[in-house]
Amino acid sequence: MNHTSSLVALSAHLALLSSISFGGFPTVLPDVRNFVVATHGWATDQEFANFFAMAQAIPGPNMILMMSFVGWKVAGFPGAVASAIATFGPACAIYFVAYRLWDRFRTAPWQEIVRRGLVPVTLGLVVASGTVMARAADTSWQAVAMTAAAVVLTLCTRMNPLWILFAGGALGGLGLL
Amino acid sequence: MAGENRLAPASGTVEDDLVRPVSLRALFIAFFTVSLFGFGGGLVWARRIAVDQRRWLSEADFADIVSLCQFMPGPNVVGIAVCTGAKLRGGIGAIAALCGFIIIPWSVGLSLGTLYLEYAHVPVLRNILGGVSATAAGLLIAAGLRLLAPHRRRPAAVLFAVLAFALMAFSRLPLLVVLFGLVPLSIAAAGIEKARAR
Repeated sequence: MNHTSSLVALSAHLALLSSISFGGFPTVLPDVRNFVVATHGWATDQEFANFFAMAQAIPGPNMILMMSFVGWKVAGFPGAVASAIATFGPACAIYFVAYRLWDRFRTAPWQEIVRRGLVPVTLGLVVASGTVMARAADTSWQAVAMTAAAVVLTLCTRMNPLWILFAGGALGGLGLL
Repeated sequence: MAGENRLAPASGTVEDDLVRPVSLRALFIAFFTVSLFGFGGGLVWARRIAVDQRRWLSEADFADIVSLCQFMPGPNVVGIAVCTGAKLRGGIGAIAALCGFIIIPWSVGLSLGTLYLEYAHVPVLRNILGGVSATAAGLLIAAGLRLLAPHRRRPAAVLFAVLAFALMAFSRLPLLVVLFGLVPLSIAAAGIEKARAR
């Protein structure tokens, strides 16, 4: 496959995933890996893991960035741009339309009930994804303590999260975690 | 009346305290900031900026947007930007928030990323990243707990939050199964709760 047709195939696939990635883009990552690594051989497993680590470490729209690294690998800068747009474009249109509808009926009694049912479940999922991330990151008891300290500091103080992250990075860099 | 009160949307910030109007520039800058600081999850920053600092949204408004975004496909934090922009300023607001969130951070991130790939094997760098991800996980857990706080007096809400948490964190069930399995039950419970309160 030449660059252009690879790029079209990648963008089309990302756009499709973008429209079905309920619960966020991380949920479709295994599928992206299969498509990019196993089916097309555009990147190695190690490269794919590096894309992921990099996207998590750099501030910014993580998943969009990660897909851009994949696109970059496949077709250079145009690949990066096309992958980014394919990742957020379809989902943004859906978000916008859905939110307008949701907001229009915000005082309807049925919506109040739906909201009161929906909110606890989705927030439970937020806490769960934090826990899943913690399990991947916490390779020592010191790292577990750092995660716990971040929870307590955020809940009990108004401290800027940047300082907490900075402390975590510094302790890690010193080899203490 | 006491029953009615308990059913009013729980909120940390009273609706009257909210700041209006919001300029497009402010939206762009706010979501640029969210994006820039969003190590390991922009949710933490979006809540801090939109609810705590700027007072654009009440705690309940924000929880509402997060829920909708969790339920929709796509990168969730992008959804938070689009919905917040849409709520405050309509379509143009959504675009302003989206551009702030994406354009500059994406360009910087892509440049940094390609550079960084060259040095990904250096041990000190790996250790720093390890420390940052352990901390970021804690921040995410805390953000979820804070948003849940207004619902802590509703037994059904606590039950379903705990169930969602436990199923997702400790079982190997796919997210779609958890979401579509629990949400109808949770909504049914909320309906019964409301009917009882009447």
